[in-house]
Amino acid sequence: MKYYFVCLMVFVFGFHQAQNCSYTLIGEIKDFHDGTPITAANIYLKEQDRYVISDFDGKFKIEDLCNGTITLVISHVGCETKTVSIAINGDVFKSIDLEHHIEELNEVSVKSKQKKTTLTAQESVLKSDILKRYTNRSLGDALKEVAGVSSINTGNSIVKPMINGLHSSRILILNNNVRLQDQEWGVEHAPNIDINSADQISVIKGAGALAFGGDAIGGVIVINPERSIRKDTLFGQTTINGQSNGRGYSLTSSLHKNYESGWFAKFQGTIKQNGDFKAADYYLTNTGTKSKSFNVKAGKKTFESGFELFYSYLNNEIGILSSSHVGNINDLLAAIKSPRPAITRDFGYDIINPRQDVTHHLLKASYFKRFKNFGKVNLQYDYQSNNRLEFDIRRGERNNEAALDLLLQTHTFLADVNLDANLERKFNFGILARYQDNYAPDTGIRRLIPNYEKYDLGAYVTTEWRLNDAVMVDAGFRYDFSRVDALKYYQISRWEERGYDDDFANFIIPAQDGQNFGANYLTNPRFDFHNLSGSIGAKYQFNDNSYLLANYSLSTRPPNPAELFSDGLHHSAARIELGDLRLDSELSNRFSLTYDHKTSNFNVVVDAFFNAIGKYMYLKPISVQQSNRGSYPVWEYQQTDAKLFGADLTASYQFVDHWKWQNKTSLIKGYDDNDLPLINMPAFNTLNKIEYSQAKWYNFLASIQSEWVFEQNEFPDFNFSVENPTTGETEILDISTPPPAYNLFHFYSEATFGVSKKTKLNIAFGINNIFNTSYRNYLNRLRYFADDLGRNITLQLKLNY
Amino acid sequence: MNTIKSNFKTMKINFLNLNTMEATKFFFSALVCLSILASCSDDDDTIPPPPNEEEVITDVTLTFTNDADANDTVELKSVDPDGEDGPLSPTVTVMGNFTAGATYSAVVEVYNSIEDEDITPEITDEEPDEHFFIYAINGLDMTFSRANNDIVRMDGNKLGYRTSWVANTTGTGSITIRLFHESETVDDSNEFGTQTGGSTDIDITFMNVNIQ
Repeated sequence: MKYYFVCLMVFVFGFHQAQNCSYTLIGEIKDFHDGTPITAANIYLKEQDRYVISDFDGKFKIEDLCNGTITLVISHVGCETKTVSIAINGDVFKSIDLEHHIEELNEVSVKSKQKKTTLTAQESVLKSDILKRYTNRSLGDALKEVAGVSSINTGNSIVKPMINGLHSSRILILNNNVRLQDQEWGVEHAPNIDINSADQISVIKGAGALAFGGDAIGGVIVINPERSIRKDTLFGQTTINGQSNGRGYSLTSSLHKNYESGWFAKFQGTIKQNGDFKAADYYLTNTGTKSKSFNVKAGKKTFESGFELFYSYLNNEIGILSSSHVGNINDLLAAIKSPRPAITRDFGYDIINPRQDVTHHLLKASYFKRFKNFGKVNLQYDYQSNNRLEFDIRRGERNNEAALDLLLQTHTFLADVNLDANLERKFNFGILARYQDNYAPDTGIRRLIPNYEKYDLGAYVTTEWRLNDAVMVDAGFRYDFSRVDALKYYQISRWEERGYDDDFANFIIPAQDGQNFGANYLTNPRFDFHNLSGSIGAKYQFNDNSYLLANYSLSTRPPNPAELFSDGLHHSAARIELGDLRLDSELSNRFSLTYDHKTSNFNVVVDAFFNAIGKYMYLKPISVQQSNRGSYPVWEYQQTDAKLFGADLTASYQFVDHWKWQNKTSLIKGYDDNDLPLINMPAFNTLNKIEYSQAKWYNFLASIQSEWVFEQNEFPDFNFSVENPTTGETEILDISTPPPAYNLFHFYSEATFGVSKKTKLNIAFGINNIFNTSYRNYLNRLRYFADDLGRNITLQLKLNY
Repeated sequence: MNTIKSNFKTMKINFLNLNTMEATKFFFSALVCLSILASCSDDDDTIPPPPNEEEVITDVTLTFTNDADANDTVELKSVDPDGEDGPLSPTVTVMGNFTAGATYSAVVEVYNSIEDEDITPEITDEEPDEHFFIYAINGLDMTFSRANNDIVRMDGNKLGYRTSWVANTTGTGSITIRLFHESETVDDSNEFGTQTGGSTDIDITFMNVNIQ
């Protein structure tokens, strides 16, 4: 209707006179978001250098205009300033939309303010000023900046994040809105992420963020690259880092090109290498790593629509401590009893077997469009390819062939709708379809994980309501269907020992003519899982300084391929791990409370939680098995009703000018249905830091930190007795007792210098483990074999241009 | 006419006049596209090749022959048909008895019955430098030595593939054979051999061995 009206007006007034400077522009400024008029917007007429202000109905009038084109610059508090060109050909009516809610819609990044993804979940945000300190380390190391986040390690380079005692498949990692699919079920499989590609990382404890998945029983890690800005600009940064321990270096560089029209392009790449790390007293032979990664991003983004193409590549080659390769229980016994690892050679960069070589590709295409008075629609397709090669110590030529070779390919389609026309009542719903294929070629060793296909379909609705100035609530619901369709060879002896011949006889595929499966059954296990998840929470703002969050979330996780199908020997652990086809989805009920209080010099956040996980899947030793190689404990995946609870504290206090004290403390307890402690629960730990900062001295900052980790005194006793083959005596193999407490001290300092008008140089110097303390960490799987890292001195130069 | 056109143009740039109805239509058409794409994934179940267990040691045999009488033999054998991954325990047998006072020469045979492959040459011919046999005796009065014709490693240590055993006095006890791979150090100078840092490939104890 408006069109016709304007047309008519133009038609009526358009034919009057040829050159007359008495035309009038009547304008109306409305909110794109919900159509309400915008009052008191500033309209600047560039050609005549004059201003008008929109009235209560959003209307404005500019008189005495000549024919031709005029330029208006419209600005308003809280809006993105907009420039429009209007052709004046007689009297004109013009309607202009401004977006008044860019901040609420997360369209601008407000510096010094953290952008959270969730409303009532326990979420912490790490920004680039913290992340840059971890440029030569891994994602798992950086996340430990958040109280309640620890890591489960295999040595020092394979670091898996652990949120409130849960890890691997219970944690979902999103890289640029793509859920990472990288064989994350394995404890010795580190996330395939280059920390330098992140600008901001959110850690969400628990399953509150349903739009990302319903199975995040432990939590969600959201990794975001920087937002593209709409400005004609070219900028970049380069960081060079060197460290004494492992004689490692890293080089990372990024370049961004943005245009005011909304087009953008970005390139970022990293290379890292280190040789053998050193514990306090000896080299950790074969702990070198090599890593190369890059990503490119290009697209166009305006307020109303946009698209993005993103590709990332990552290759990690990681050496596994030579001394950790053990053949049987007796080797493990000898390793545990020896105070030093059996193999400690001179320093070297060479990586030999056992080692891992993992390559991850990620390709993403996304598109969004914002509709007036409605909201935003996002469509996304992503493809990931993860090739994991694990090389073991093997006889002869086979030493050069991978013992484990898995190619995991995943396609995901995502459609998401954000109804945010009414900011008091926001709705978000979407669907997801995913297809995954795992292919394990013949490596001359029984496949640890079989070939399988997996199909997922999910649908979710979440909503956020502002009830009044003090109370906001959110709620969500999600349904997921998943089907696993595998082809696996079982040894007939194993199939029968598991009792599968009674329960799953229908899975067996009989051998056709010409096929010979030897002493194996070829089986086709196929399972369907229907999972429901939901969450509800509230935020109560007491006053400007403090608020309380309460949240309940229900999440369900189907068993992963390792839990279903594992069937073989793990050399680094000298144990046989057995999956179970009978496993059912685990179900978590998590209750959480957060109190946040902030004043100008004091800030405290307390996160408390209780997580009751029904049918919690975990590995438990059940027997000892004999072979020609000696004996091994057999660990089997079992289910129990577990309870986990704890609290995390983050506090900072500026006691005098420039001096700040910080504390992060976390306590967690976990028990099974017999009230026995769960294995691998992080011990009580407390971090205290004193920091001095002085903006006048080139933004100088220096800090001393104490990292005090207590001895875990609650652990399950999984020890067993072993006969020493040389003496014939029986000895206890102690694989359960946690190592003693330790307290490490770290130093960090940095300053920033202006090199030229647009170029800044940040220099950082740090010492980790200042006193070169020998220690072992309960959550490091190689703690039986060697000490953790000794002193490490780092120097880093970061250039912004 | 020109005026009308240019006005239209400027207006279109500034807003998308789509109503809720159209947005919903857009969303549902997107859904349909997705479901079509998702359903076209290939579903042909190609049968993977059966596992080819090249590394597995199923049969270990230690054969002793009396240096003075080729018919006087003792055979210690351990058979684990499903290998180290399988649940079956090895069947360990001792055939024959040692004669007190006699000297025996022993050799080892290592075999993979799953792949029907003799692994012995991989240890003795291809990679003697990466392997080392260690023995142990409990309860038996025997004198052990590495045979003169044993394979000598590059580092001068004897592999322990051919060994010599003197059965001294009568009795019953056990003999243990162990094979280590990629040891950091090995030493054949003490009686049965020692090593550090290697991983165990074979570790079998034969009980109820008799010297008569």
